[in-house]
Amino acid sequence: MNIWERMQVIDRRWVYLMVALAVIIPFIIPMKFPISITPETQSLYDAVEALPDSSNVMLVFDYYPSTMAETEPMAVAAARHFFSKDCRVITLSNIPLGGPSMAENVTRLIAEEYGKVYGVDYVNLGYKYGYVSVLKGMGQSIESIFPTDNSGTPLSELPIMDSVVNYDDIAFIFEVADNATADYWIAIVNAGYGVPMGVGATAVMAPKFYAFVGAKQIVGLLGGMKGAAEYEILIDQKDAAFKGMDIQSLVHLLIIGLVVMGNVSFFFGRRKRSREKS
Amino acid sequence: MKTGVPVAVSFVAGLIMVVSFFFNEETTKVGGLSQELLNWLIIVGGFTLLLGVVSITRVNWSGVRQKKEGWIYKVFTLISIFAMALPSLIPESWSPLFGRSAGSIYDWLFVYLQAPMMATMFATLAFYIASAAYRAFRARSAEATLLLITATLVMLWRVPMGEAFLNLFPGNIPELINTYVMNGANLAVQRGIIIGAALGASSMSLRIILGIERTYMGKG
Repeated sequence: MNIWERMQVIDRRWVYLMVALAVIIPFIIPMKFPISITPETQSLYDAVEALPDSSNVMLVFDYYPSTMAETEPMAVAAARHFFSKDCRVITLSNIPLGGPSMAENVTRLIAEEYGKVYGVDYVNLGYKYGYVSVLKGMGQSIESIFPTDNSGTPLSELPIMDSVVNYDDIAFIFEVADNATADYWIAIVNAGYGVPMGVGATAVMAPKFYAFVGAKQIVGLLGGMKGAAEYEILIDQKDAAFKGMDIQSLVHLLIIGLVVMGNVSFFFGRRKRSREKS
Repeated sequence: MKTGVPVAVSFVAGLIMVVSFFFNEETTKVGGLSQELLNWLIIVGGFTLLLGVVSITRVNWSGVRQKKEGWIYKVFTLISIFAMALPSLIPESWSPLFGRSAGSIYDWLFVYLQAPMMATMFATLAFYIASAAYRAFRARSAEATLLLITATLVMLWRVPMGEAFLNLFPGNIPELINTYVMNGANLAVQRGIIIGAALGASSMSLRIILGIERTYMGKG
């Protein structure tokens, strides 16, 4: 067995070890390569930046805890941007598994940074079953779909909701998603009610949303952790995504290296086998 | 009866949704009917969640009682369900530990147990993807080679270190990838897929409304 054949049957635990090292090393030795801003992230930032101060906006937490590493930095960056512009932030989720908790924890944490008050500057509407019904219903009346907030307080008792009836009173929607609910927000809310939208999606999902950016159905797109890191740079608040870029860089390069190695060993191994046959 | 009623309900509900789309939902009764049906859906959906809890409890409880293989895991499932659910159902006014707000038992279990466990499970994918890419991603044909080259370029473009590497070559490769791969080939393909999926969903909806498609009732 020559080196090429041995490379093809390498114990997978060596690969696991390499991945583990690629994740650990950047923690110890930060590399800090420059991060360029993609046009999709820039246009999303510009759209939020162009909102009048104190606008009513929606920040939607449609992601599961499993993808938090990618999606939560987007939600955090968006919340910071909105609060820095004194926007009134309405959060909700179409994810039963922890969506309202993630909305609660992120917004409370960021609201404290900016001295914002619950019920006045932001509210968490929580979760309601059936996203199609929920999205469509809020077009008539948000209060009819969410009579209370996530803690059970009637919306009529929250000052933030005094000026909000339905989508007509929402200036912008920022949807952070790791699943198909983003499609429904675009199809029902943007197409049906004309509310400007931006989407933050996992890197796996992001390619799909380029079609919506191209069609101007969404104003911009954050794709994966890189998109979140770009947004953090734009709002001048480098945080989790920015720090995660070194790790992602090294793991991507490792996988590319492994693919190249695998192909080289495959071709040389095949050449040896065909020589032996002839 | 078992088939006729669901088909009739589907037909009437589907017809209402289609017809009401063409009427103003605020000024006409017909237009408002679709939202009425959607409100029913929210209520029925709430009961389906409850049904799910009852079902998982029954299945696991019977497994525990009969000491089936792996019964101890079923015990953990039952404990987990009720440990998360019960404190969240008790009104917050009784104690800050109840309800779903920050600082409650539910929130604590979610933030410190469920979220890290789910994130850990998802993170292990990186190891399997790396191993699978090494073993299976081979340039065996022209199509596979094209996919491999495109994937490599996009993976490099999506990370700062890779972008710095691409910038070593002349011609602003990162911008070319964004313009021609993501906003060119990818965008065109995605549009095709989205339009195709929408047409497929429309035809499937029509089949359900007309009672041709009955697989939702467990029938072929």
